[in-house]
Amino acid sequence: MKRRAPHVLIVDDERHVRESLSNWFVEDGYEVSTAGSAKEALQVLATRDVDVVVTDIRMPGMDGLELQHRIREVKPEVAVILITAYASVSTAVQALKEGAWDYLVKPFDPEDLSRVVAKACEKLRLEEENAALKERIAASVPEFVAGESPAMRRVLDLVEAVAPTDATVLIRGESGTGKELIARLIHAKSPRAFGPLVAVNCGALPEGVLESELFGHEKGAFTGAAGRRKGKLELADGGTLFLDEIGEISPKVQVELLRALEEHKITRVGGTQEVPVDFRVVCATNRDLEEAVRAGTFREDLYYRINVFRIDLPPLRERREDILPIAEHFVERYARAMGRKVSGFSQAAREVLLSHDWPGNVRELANAIERALVVCREGEIRPEHLPIVRRTASGAGEDAADLSLRTVERRHIRKVLEICEWNVTRAAKELGIDRVTLYNKMKKYGIERPGQAGN
Amino acid sequence: MIAWRVELVRIGTVAPGVLRRLAAELAPCLAREVFVAGATIDPAPAFDPLRRQYRVDDLLLALLDPPPPPGVKRVGVTNLDIFLPVFTHVLGLAQHGGPVAVVSLHRLRPDEPEHPDPSGVLRRRLLREVLHELGHTLGLVHCNVPWCAMRASRVAEEVDLKDAAFCRSCAGEVGLAADCPCAGRDPGDREPPRVEKEHEG
Repeated sequence: MKRRAPHVLIVDDERHVRESLSNWFVEDGYEVSTAGSAKEALQVLATRDVDVVVTDIRMPGMDGLELQHRIREVKPEVAVILITAYASVSTAVQALKEGAWDYLVKPFDPEDLSRVVAKACEKLRLEEENAALKERIAASVPEFVAGESPAMRRVLDLVEAVAPTDATVLIRGESGTGKELIARLIHAKSPRAFGPLVAVNCGALPEGVLESELFGHEKGAFTGAAGRRKGKLELADGGTLFLDEIGEISPKVQVELLRALEEHKITRVGGTQEVPVDFRVVCATNRDLEEAVRAGTFREDLYYRINVFRIDLPPLRERREDILPIAEHFVERYARAMGRKVSGFSQAAREVLLSHDWPGNVRELANAIERALVVCREGEIRPEHLPIVRRTASGAGEDAADLSLRTVERRHIRKVLEICEWNVTRAAKELGIDRVTLYNKMKKYGIERPGQAGN
Repeated sequence: MIAWRVELVRIGTVAPGVLRRLAAELAPCLAREVFVAGATIDPAPAFDPLRRQYRVDDLLLALLDPPPPPGVKRVGVTNLDIFLPVFTHVLGLAQHGGPVAVVSLHRLRPDEPEHPDPSGVLRRRLLREVLHELGHTLGLVHCNVPWCAMRASRVAEEVDLKDAAFCRSCAGEVGLAADCPCAGRDPGDREPPRVEKEHEG
């Protein structure tokens, strides 16, 4: 997109000055407006998108300094350049202290004028660009598919509360619950959002490698250390350090990490010089750290250092009301990405989704839906499209092996409804509950009369 | 192709040969008729005794009296130090999108004046500045292409960096055919300027 030419407003009570400057700016490719007084200038500013004001200081009525004050009040983003006679340079300097962009002493070299105005426009351009980037960063907050359950609403409330602070956060949750996404969400909503988010999977690296990865190393620190290398803690300077699987790190690295977290200084492997670092720490684990502390495999002092603010991510099976909304979200996302015309789930497929325990949590659900979209090209996703069907349907029909109270209840309600030919009043009577309770349970388990799904 | 021609006018004491030579170079460059006016403009009314310089806007007004005939771009050439109120000096000035422009040789002269410009530096600078001001009369604004005649030059040495040609974008904007000698390279071209580099003695 072509940028519009910067708009310069020239304010001077002398016509020939206005014309001279106007001509010059037009030749330089600027959009130009002129005003013969400060009052007229304010009228132009009220109606036009002005970027730079070039104004004489001495004018009858309101002078250039007063005009500058007014502009700062109503349009502080506008750069004001003052033109002054030699005698009023001190006044112009005072104006600089009060926020004017620059001043020029009459007569001035045209080159000086062009340079000063070009710099002001460049500053405005950078500010605009900066604002646009901030918006883009705000818009790029990681998508975390939370669902609407009270449990997840509580988690998001905690994220909102802790993100703006610098507190260390410990995220607990089973594999696949979205711990890293929560860490990214905290970073994106924090004042450190413009800094880096550096993630380290502590469980994936052997002790020696993890130590070098976290703290960096000096040249010759070990075989193969051909040059100095910054560690993740240094790279996270100004941003957030996300330590995933914190429960897996060795006692030696625990000691060094504790020191780095407490002193905000690190020493590279093989080095002696301390390097100051400034980062916020977010840790995650699926291990029972309290048990690890009791067993002596995790340092108690480090545990208390990282467990300043704790967020527990509930597994999907403990918030089943989120399963269908999350599944539908993934259908929409993957259908769009793959260009599939898939409308949703059949009733049977919904029941399969609801009855599964999702040990791999949201990650497993996402993978299941993605796979279903590969197999199902259009229409509704049916049980045979879902990878979990094959796993659970090995016995006599769906969920035959699942004897949890929920599954049994859901299955029983459905069976009674079928016997009663989907007459809810009769089915409620058979079940010994009232109609409202039955409707609530049907809603909870996603039970719908065949042919009515999606209505 | 837009039908326009150029009239060169002496302002004050400019040697007639300067304008004749300029016309001889400008005509093939623009592929248009360029002629030298017989009359000379008296700059005295534009003189500012306090600054001991000449107001270029007054000189533009003088060039408009009488206005040039339709299709004529009138360019005044002067040896005088010209200025605009609030500016210390200008190298030239054009009526943007209008029919008149002024170019001064005063600050285009090399630091060590050579008479009569044996190395041709001043001649080349004049040609480029006249092309630049003509561009303004055709409605062009300053261009960022380093070698384009419409690149702004605040000092004489900057004029030396330019071609005696418009970049393809500027040339296209004012309807100069691509095969016109002053319609230069594409802004993206990285070949060296095709401008004559002679520093002949």
